[in-house]
Amino acid sequence: MGGNFIIVMNIIRLSILIILGLGAIWFAWRVFMTSSMVRSALSLLASMAILGMMFLVMEAEFLGVLQIMMMATEMSIMAIFMMMYMMDPGGMGNMDMSHQKKLSIGTSLVAGAMVIVAVSFSNWETIATEVPTPAKQNYDLGMELMKRSMMIFETAGTSILVAMIVSTATALPFKNKKDD
Amino acid sequence: MIELIVVLSVGAVLFGIGIYGALSQTNLVMIMMGIELMLGAAMLNLVAFWRYLHPEEYSIQMFVLVGMTVMALEAAVGFAIATQRFRTKGSVEMEEASDLKE
Amino acid sequence: MMWMIIGIGCLVSIYAIVVLERRLVYKTWEFGYPVAAFASYFIQENVKPRKRDKTFYETAPILFITVAVLAIGIFPWAESSVIANMATGALFFNAALAYIMVALVMAGWAPNAVYPMIGGWRFMGQLIAYSMPIVMAITATVMRAESMNMMAVVESQTGLWNIVYQPVGFLLFYAASLALTFLPPFDLPNAPGELEGGVFAEFTGTRLLIFRLGRIILIFSLSLGITHFFLGGWAGPFLPGYVWVFLKTILVACSFFVVGNLLPRFRHDHTLEWSWKLATPLALFNILWVGILLLL
Repeated sequence: MGGNFIIVMNIIRLSILIILGLGAIWFAWRVFMTSSMVRSALSLLASMAILGMMFLVMEAEFLGVLQIMMMATEMSIMAIFMMMYMMDPGGMGNMDMSHQKKLSIGTSLVAGAMVIVAVSFSNWETIATEVPTPAKQNYDLGMELMKRSMMIFETAGTSILVAMIVSTATALPFKNKKDD
Repeated sequence: MIELIVVLSVGAVLFGIGIYGALSQTNLVMIMMGIELMLGAAMLNLVAFWRYLHPEEYSIQMFVLVGMTVMALEAAVGFAIATQRFRTKGSVEMEEASDLKE
Repeated sequence: MMWMIIGIGCLVSIYAIVVLERRLVYKTWEFGYPVAAFASYFIQENVKPRKRDKTFYETAPILFITVAVLAIGIFPWAESSVIANMATGALFFNAALAYIMVALVMAGWAPNAVYPMIGGWRFMGQLIAYSMPIVMAITATVMRAESMNMMAVVESQTGLWNIVYQPVGFLLFYAASLALTFLPPFDLPNAPGELEGGVFAEFTGTRLLIFRLGRIILIFSLSLGITHFFLGGWAGPFLPGYVWVFLKTILVACSFFVVGNLLPRFRHDHTLEWSWKLATPLALFNILWVGILLLL
């Protein structure tokens, strides 16, 4: 009884992972195949949110929810920047916005195939079946951040600060002294 | 075992699509979308490694957090550059950016 | 049995919120208004704009109402009844609210018209600005509870509610909830006098019904959020826990409408400026304040 139940659960989880993965790939593909820019940004959002759901299926609850939350804001900002800077944001003019097609298709196929070959021929260690409960994960992740990896986390924080300063400084308009 | 391989293959395909986007698109914002896809694939792989190989190692989860930070930073700096370029040159098409070579 | 009471309670409080909104905003008691509005939207003709973005036009209302309902799911109704007892409940509440913005950006883009698009992009700026104070106020309550589980957050408030423990956080959360549900004085995305209905302008019939219902559910879920994060959740004398939850929620929702009646609509640049220059530093100060209190 117990063994059967675990096998059924495993099959269900595997099929959910496959379905979500196919969904993520489909939306990622739509990003570059549609000519409406808001659609493109929101397809990327859908792809990233599905990745977040895959994190949830893989029992990394904090990371999954965080991914789903952060991507909503980030991709909506992306959508408005696309609207601002694209020549043809609505996709009404059927412009071709790509170049060096053969090179990029070739490179992506080679890279993807290499990774898949590496994945399928590696000798994986023993697969873990049990993971800590979400509450314990949160606690231990906090301890990790505040103890052993504190320096790395602080560096990430500092780089956020630097990036904020840099992006503000870069985006400010040039002021010509004669115009004042 | 099968689950790990499935998740890693999804990551690989997403990485390939990301490379295709980053290389083939002419617009700076679209190129950034390709890079975001690649980073997302990397994060998916990290979570899979955490779940199936080392569930007690929290430095992997922390590395995912750093990956999310990098995504946000890349977006912020990229948008700043796009804003400045649009302001001075009137477009963010990368084929017109060959003046950066000189 | 318990779940039936809670479900009926949810429906009754949503009905009460609609009726009380009519009372407080339009000064009339109309007990049949929810039913009448429901029926009239149902039989209204669905006028669709030409050259709309079909996918977004259909998806936006459904996404809107779905995330509003999902945000309710993490809240406990009494000592032991909660739908999804997530270890990261407080964060999940944020994640659900972030998709309100996505739904409204979709709704603004889909009809291929000017006013909705302006409303949609406006709401994006407003929500990004006001989700910062919300996230930081929730962080402070989570710090006190030492857990992101909503049960723990409520239990940490026995004795002293968070509204007394961290008043700054409560004020920020309250103002940001008004901005998030785009109630007056923050009703910029669908400002009736200015944008002719804004994001909802091109939606008619059942889709508009779903939007308006979703908005009421959103008000309900944010009031629930205030109740649980700052007003002690199910705590209260004499009555059973879930009665207190519903009472507090309805009172908070009423106070939203009263505040909206008292204040004029803010200008868009002012709302953004106050959020980034005033509310975000105050929220950081609130985190510092709670940290000092916890260490004392």
